[in-house]
Amino acid sequence: MKEKTFRCLILCVLILGILGTVFHLLYAADAYERCSIIRFIAEEPW
Amino acid sequence: MSMRRTLIKQLGALLALLLLFASVNGLIYGFLTCRLSNNFSGTDAAKMIDVGQYLPHESGSDLALIQTDFRLEGELPVLDGAAALVPVYASVIHSVYPKGSVTYEGGSFSDDNYYGENFAPDSKMQYKNTVRGYEAIVDGTTDILFCAAPSEAQKQYAEDKGVELIYVPIGLEAFVFFVNEKNPVDSLTVEQIRGIYGGEYKSWKELGGPDRPINPVTRLSGSGSQSAMDSFMAGREIAEKFPLAAFGGSIGFSFRYYMDGIVGNEKVKMLALNGVEPSGENIRNGSYPVIAQFYAIYRADNPNPNVPKLIDLLLSSEGQELIEDCGYVRISE
Repeated sequence: MKEKTFRCLILCVLILGILGTVFHLLYAADAYERCSIIRFIAEEPW
Repeated sequence: MSMRRTLIKQLGALLALLLLFASVNGLIYGFLTCRLSNNFSGTDAAKMIDVGQYLPHESGSDLALIQTDFRLEGELPVLDGAAALVPVYASVIHSVYPKGSVTYEGGSFSDDNYYGENFAPDSKMQYKNTVRGYEAIVDGTTDILFCAAPSEAQKQYAEDKGVELIYVPIGLEAFVFFVNEKNPVDSLTVEQIRGIYGGEYKSWKELGGPDRPINPVTRLSGSGSQSAMDSFMAGREIAEKFPLAAFGGSIGFSFRYYMDGIVGNEKVKMLALNGVEPSGENIRNGSYPVIAQFYAIYRADNPNPNVPKLIDLLLSSEGQELIEDCGYVRISE
């Protein structure tokens, strides 16, 4: 793989990964407002 | 050979990056996202109660019945309320409203939507829950709202609109705190709980539990339980919490019957407060330290003559019997 292609791929994965993680966190923050705290605490890993 | 080695290195780096994001998101999902649903379906919609279990005049509904010959006639008041009080006001409609007073968009009940109900605009039963319910009673689209005490913002909303609301206490309920059933802590004092929410205690270890951060969960501003919590704090501010606290051991609050009778999740346990369990008996004898009233609320200028008749019925011995049959504690003997 050419160095330039590799760098492009890394950059793409990095951007998509960061965007995906940010979207996931935003979704979680929004869902947290409406979720049942009973279920939230019941499903807590101990 | 060198090119092949470079290619392997490049693919390895790409794979490592992909694995890093997959692991981070997997951890967030495992600890957080998979727990963010409501009580009655796998979606994140606002289904805090299975309304379909409490439909008046439907066979198989889980409702109480007032032993009375009294039946409402004429202009029927629209009843609305909090999730925890749906069984109460649905039972009132079931007992004294004529059949056909509860109607649905499309002709039959469906919970396949965001709020988990499809009451028609002309239906005498509505379910807007606390936040939207307070707006509805002030705006005049609901006649009687069954709810816990209002928040300061809700009182202000009524005042700003020039509306006087009458709050009639119709029953008692314990305000409870709960944790995961695997949390070894079974009892806390009122001051310890105020300390948790005030930011004084950060780890369960300080309260006889494991060395794990405490995640004090709060609710939507204006919800009945959050307003009760604000009142419980007795003037102390609820501290801002560290965002990663969501990964710690949580403590939450609710009302006893909603937890025990409506949701009934066995993976959580209610804590004793000052050593007293939140049982019906301990609410009745006043030994449980945090008892909340719940109310039938109506506008002082409501001209519907059936509104005071329904309030009288709720305060009568038959009405109070219904409150008990629905799982709550009567306000008067």
